[in-house]
Amino acid sequence: MVSYIIKRSLLSIPLLVIISFLTFGLNNLSPLDPAEVILHAQGVPAITDELIAETKAALGMDRPFLIRYLSWFVSCLQLDFGNSYVTGKTVWSLLAPAFLNTLKLTLVSAAAIIALSIGLGVISALREGKMTDKSIRGVSFFLTSMPPYWLAALMVWYFSVQLDLLPTSGMDSYESYILPVLVITISYTGIYFRIVRSSMLSNMNEDYVLYGRASGLPEKKITMHILRNSLQVAVSVFCMAIPIILGSTVVVENIFAWPGLGTLSVKAILSRDFPIIQAYVLVLAMAFVLFNTVSDIMNAAMNPKLRKGH
Amino acid sequence: MTRKIVVLLSALLVSIVLLAGCSGGNERNAGNVGNAAKKEAADQAKVLVYATAKDINDMNPHLYPGSLPAQGMVYESLVENTEDGIKPLLAESWNVSDDGKVYTFHLRKDVKFHDGEPFNADAVKKNIEAVQSNASKHAWIKLSTKIVSVSVLDEYTFEMVLSEPYYPALLELSMTRPYVFISPKDFVNGETKDGVSGHNGTGPYKLTEHKTDQYAAFKANDSYWGGAPKVKSITAKVLPAGETTFLALKKGEVNFIFTDDRGSDSIDVDAMNQLMDSGDFQLVRSKAMNTKMIVANSSKADNPALETAVREAIWYSIDRETISKQIFSGTETAAHTLFSANVNYANVELKQRGFDLDKAKQLLEKAGWMQENGSEIRMKDGKPLAMKLYYDVSSSSQKTEAEFIQNTVKKIGVQLELIGEESSSIASRRATGDYDLLFNQTWGLAYDPQSTISAFTSESAYYHTTSGITQADELYKKIDEVMVTQDEEKRKSLYADILTIVHDEAVFIPITNGSVTIVAPKDLQGISFKQTQFELPFEQMHFE
Repeated sequence: MVSYIIKRSLLSIPLLVIISFLTFGLNNLSPLDPAEVILHAQGVPAITDELIAETKAALGMDRPFLIRYLSWFVSCLQLDFGNSYVTGKTVWSLLAPAFLNTLKLTLVSAAAIIALSIGLGVISALREGKMTDKSIRGVSFFLTSMPPYWLAALMVWYFSVQLDLLPTSGMDSYESYILPVLVITISYTGIYFRIVRSSMLSNMNEDYVLYGRASGLPEKKITMHILRNSLQVAVSVFCMAIPIILGSTVVVENIFAWPGLGTLSVKAILSRDFPIIQAYVLVLAMAFVLFNTVSDIMNAAMNPKLRKGH
Repeated sequence: MTRKIVVLLSALLVSIVLLAGCSGGNERNAGNVGNAAKKEAADQAKVLVYATAKDINDMNPHLYPGSLPAQGMVYESLVENTEDGIKPLLAESWNVSDDGKVYTFHLRKDVKFHDGEPFNADAVKKNIEAVQSNASKHAWIKLSTKIVSVSVLDEYTFEMVLSEPYYPALLELSMTRPYVFISPKDFVNGETKDGVSGHNGTGPYKLTEHKTDQYAAFKANDSYWGGAPKVKSITAKVLPAGETTFLALKKGEVNFIFTDDRGSDSIDVDAMNQLMDSGDFQLVRSKAMNTKMIVANSSKADNPALETAVREAIWYSIDRETISKQIFSGTETAAHTLFSANVNYANVELKQRGFDLDKAKQLLEKAGWMQENGSEIRMKDGKPLAMKLYYDVSSSSQKTEAEFIQNTVKKIGVQLELIGEESSSIASRRATGDYDLLFNQTWGLAYDPQSTISAFTSESAYYHTTSGITQADELYKKIDEVMVTQDEEKRKSLYADILTIVHDEAVFIPITNGSVTIVAPKDLQGISFKQTQFELPFEQMHFE
């Protein structure tokens, strides 16, 4: 198992290097002169050729592409992503708090999504075709198909303005978590519970279930077996849910004025603050690679057969 | 096997319990918070919380990323630009030498920075020198290229020597940045270009707390030389989405909004009307502050817009009244000249060009642009009358205006291709001359006419707009002259000539005049405006 974990983790390193190169390269493909972009981003009212040359020299942009990439990559390894074009602050000092804020939102939402999906998925599968199953699927279909911004606006209007129970936005207290978490949970539970449900259903038709019943195993024990096998599929899906939510909070964060990665990245994209965009893409890519690795390892831990190939 | 299931299930159980506990507790708390918030709201009914789409950002007053309204509360300039001209602010009085090169300022003696440091000639010298040491960033403000030396005459007297007479010197000293003053204690290594260690100005409000992308809190400066402001606390709350801003206003979490620095209102006209109907708010609109316009490139080969007749025809085919009524719901008025008449020196007699499609067609035909039977586009020498119009994708109104104009010019046989781009890329097109037509706006009351007009000659601004016209050389000569002349009558006549030339050449095609909009609590009095669309005089406001 240890050797599997090491091998699997080492595999992700070349992937991250490729991603970092693409990120840096794509940002450099922009038709605009980066020095000009910086000066616009800083709100300088008039940009002269002299100023552009000065800025380029100051930021080492007159060096060849590969050298710039290498020096950027080496400093990224030390968590130094450079300075924001707009504020001049280090990217790390902007990214770290935003990442933490988004992570808080993501973890609470992911816990809610996983709990609800498993619960609803199991109930739905056990009651396949009955009223309970139909209503769970109907309601979830309805909620999932609502655009998150509309759902969010509706909830703020009802819970904050009409009932005056919760704040409309910001992250000042625990109460401010409720609405954003609800919106994210509603948007994703509908998708994930269906995965649990269908995996449960396909397991129910497996030979081992028939064999178990034939040998007179108690129904509860059989259900537990089915659940355990179905969750194996779900584990990898749930692991990937975390980076997916992490990267898709833009709409929710924007509406709830949540000072997280989504807000930061949109702002950076609009003002072409490339160091922040690069760091954001890199952090998200790392999250995807990391959780993918974790999900593989967890699956391997639950199913020794998967380890055999390695 | 069973152990793993147990682990999995207990993890599930724990999360459910956590969640249940969480929501249960929250409902309880939420009730408390509702009441607490109401009580708090009653206690603090006399504060202003304004919504801003962007964080206040770096508040260093000698650089440009910071929020202008926030910087305007914290920092002050030597003089102030008002409707009645330049008035004293941190300088009580000043003299200008006969040759127009030496400015002597007598400073107020009762001013302290927020950190208690005295405001004196030494502080002024240090600040101006800090600005000058980063000169290339300030090239837009011509004064920065003309200051030769700054010196302290005595504790409260300060002298500034220019290389040549420059009449807008006082105007440029009155702007929100960069010639404003921060406590020299906040300098880093004796300078401000690499950042500052604090934000202590001399203004009516102090910045007391700043949480990036969340809010910034300002408290009244009770020892302000102009008297303690009556509104004791102002908070800038970051709300990027207009829908949330509207709901936050309805709920009372935010009670004040105003037009942002791009001249766009964060909530739409319908939402504003709903707020007015609730009876808790008032809406105040300033007089015209700037002109939104289409700028034509007069110097690009193969661009039909280099012909005066084509530019004039476009001018005649824009239905400004409908744009004002339909697109802006009357919040912006139709503009017929580059500057509205309330801009200094801009009250000049100019030829009126109303909405007249027949006139437009005649102009084009006279210039040789013919429309074959059945064809939609006019042709001349085998070339179609087609141009590209660039607009700012992040402006909600520009796209609609562009589509509307595209539709009307089609009726006179002109084809417009619309291209939406980021504002930075539009600025770079303007600088390189890579455009036919693009949307832009004048700088605004405090800066005009001198800033927009000096931009006519600047490569990075309107050089490509103006350099193709026949009288370009004469125009540039007059612009150079108007900036240095000491004679008021001559200045008036030069401005009149300059405005007449660009008007007759129709290179700046005006559309509407924008103004600043404020939505404020009903009982807030003393709401007024400055000569700029970027700042508000918060210190004059008070609750009744």
